[in-house]
Amino acid sequence: MTASIINRIIAERPAHDGSLTVTGLGHRTTLPLAEFHDRARSVAAALSRRGVGAGDRIGILSANRLEWVLLDVAALMLGAQTAGFEPGKFSPDAELVAGYALDALYTDVRLPGDAPSRVLPISAVTGYAEEDADGFEPVQWAATQCTTVKFTSGSTGVPKGLEATAGSIDSSLHAVQSLFEHGPGDDVLTFLPLSLLQQRYWLYSALHWGHDITITTYQSVFAVLPAVRPTVVMGVPAFFDTAKRHIEGVIAGGVEPAKAAAELFGDRIRYLWTGSAPADPATLRFYDEAGLAIFEGYGLNETCITTKNHPGAHREGSVGRVLPGKEVIIDDEGVVCVRSDHPVNTAYTYAAPGDSESVFRPGGIVRTGDLGRLDEDGFLYILGRSDDVIVLDNAKKIIVRPIETRFRDTGAVAECVVYCPSPAGLVAVVSPHPGPVDTAVIDEALAAVNAASERDERIIRVIVADEPFTVEGGLLTSQFKPIRKRIADRYRDRIDNPKAGIHAH
Amino acid sequence: MPTDLDTLAREKLSQVLRDHPDPAGLDLGEDLVETYGITSLNKVLFLTSLCKAAEVGLGNFTEDDLAGMRTLGDVVDALRPHAPLKG
Repeated sequence: MTASIINRIIAERPAHDGSLTVTGLGHRTTLPLAEFHDRARSVAAALSRRGVGAGDRIGILSANRLEWVLLDVAALMLGAQTAGFEPGKFSPDAELVAGYALDALYTDVRLPGDAPSRVLPISAVTGYAEEDADGFEPVQWAATQCTTVKFTSGSTGVPKGLEATAGSIDSSLHAVQSLFEHGPGDDVLTFLPLSLLQQRYWLYSALHWGHDITITTYQSVFAVLPAVRPTVVMGVPAFFDTAKRHIEGVIAGGVEPAKAAAELFGDRIRYLWTGSAPADPATLRFYDEAGLAIFEGYGLNETCITTKNHPGAHREGSVGRVLPGKEVIIDDEGVVCVRSDHPVNTAYTYAAPGDSESVFRPGGIVRTGDLGRLDEDGFLYILGRSDDVIVLDNAKKIIVRPIETRFRDTGAVAECVVYCPSPAGLVAVVSPHPGPVDTAVIDEALAAVNAASERDERIIRVIVADEPFTVEGGLLTSQFKPIRKRIADRYRDRIDNPKAGIHAH
Repeated sequence: MPTDLDTLAREKLSQVLRDHPDPAGLDLGEDLVETYGITSLNKVLFLTSLCKAAEVGLGNFTEDDLAGMRTLGDVVDALRPHAPLKG
C-alpha cells in the first residue's frame, strides 16, 4: 500500500481549494478545508491542554454537525481514539462513560443533572477551535493502531464494538479512490450518522484529494439536495426508494424523468452510491433510466468495503468486483469470507463471549455469514444471510432473503421479514407503507409471491405490523435494515398464533 | 390550482402518502407519524414540496421547527406567516 492517507491529512494543511459545507434546514456553513484543518488543530491543542492525549478515548454522541468532524480530526491529530455513538440509542450518563472507558464524552443531548464531569456539551468545541494551536504537532499512526471504535448495527441486543485500524481505513480510501477518482469539482454529500465510520471516510477523502464535501442530516437531506448540487450522494436503499417514489410522482405530473430527478438531486450528479442492504433491482433500473448512474457495493463493519460496482466494472444483480487489498473466498457452505491485507481488526472489543470467534478467523479472514457466489469475471452476488437460513424438517435450507425481497418488490409492503415458527410453514411480518393498510392488495401480493416460490418457500400467513418499521421505533437499523430478532420479539404472539394474520388461499 | 394553504397542504401530504388518499379526508389534527405513518424522509419531502408550491422559503424553518410539526395543522400554521396565499 502507498503512503498513509490518515497520517498525511492530519500532518499537512491542505494546499487545495476543497471545502466543507455543513448544512440543514435553516442553516449553512462553508469553510475551506485548509481552514477546517487549522480549526481541528486548535481543537487538538485545546483538548491536550485539558488533559486528553494519545491513547485516550473521546466519545461523541451527537447529530451530524461541524463540531463532530472537528473532534474527529482533532482526535486523529492527538493520537486519541474516537467512539461515535448513534444519537437516540445511547444516553450521556455514567454508565456509558464507564462501559466504554471514555476519557471525555461530547454530546448535543441536554446533560442530566448527575452527568459525570467527563461529559461535556459538544458546543464547547466551537470555543476550542478559536484557541491558539500553540505549536501543537500532530502524531502519526501505525497501520495496526486503532483510530476509532465503531458499533455494529447488530441484529441482536447491545451493539458490538469494533476498533478499526488505521491501515484498514487507508486501504479502503485508496481502493475507493482507484475506482471513482474523486477530485476537484466533486462534492460528496453525506447525511447518514457520522457515528458510522464510512461517512467520515468522505471527509478524509476530501482532505486528501481536494474535492468538496457536504454534511447534512437525514432529517434535512431532501430539503438541501437541490441547492447543494452534489456530484455524489451516498445513501442506503430505503433512501433511494423514497426518492424514487417522489420522482415518480413528479413524472406522473408530466415532467421528464431526467428533469424530475434533477429537481430533487440537483443537476450535477456523477453517480449515486448505495450499500449496507440489498437494493431493489427496480430502483437501480429506475435511476439508470433517469440518467443517474447508481452503484451498489458490499461490505460489513468487520470487513469494511469489500466489493463495489463502478463506472469501469458494473454488472447488474451483482455487488461488484473485489476491491484492491481484499480477497473473497466462498467457503464449503457457500458463505462469503473476506481476507484483508489490512484487517479492520481480529476481534470485537465489546461483544458477548464467542461472538469474535464466530466471525474473525486466522489470517485476517472474516466469515461474513452471507451466502454468495462469484461469477467467472469476479463479480460477487449475495444470495442471502446464512443467519437467515431456515432449515426445514425435511432438511431443506430456505434462504429467506429472496422471498422477502420478492414480497417487498411487489410494492404492496415496505419491508418483509420471514420466520418459520412451526412446521406448518413460513410466516411473514410485513411493514406497511404509510397510510391506511390495504389488506386486499397485500393478499394479492401474497398470492403472487407464493405463485413464484418453491413449495417449501411458500408463506402461509402474513402479519401486518401495527405501524411501519422505523429507525425511531427500533425495528430498523440506522441503515434501514429490518432488525429480525426485535421484529420477532414485538410480534411473537401473532407469529405463533395460527389464526392470526392474512392467510394464504 | 388551489388557492389556499390548507388545501395545498392536504394535496401535498396526499402525494407523499403511499395510497394517495382523498386530500379532503385528511385530518388537520391527526399525528403525521402515528396516523399517517410518515417517515422522517417523507416528512421533509412533504415540507419541501409544500414550500415550493406555496412559494415559501425553506430557509424559514429549522430541523427543530420540522420536529415540532406533528400534525398537518401544525405545518399549515408554521407556513402561514410566510405564505403569500390566503388561508
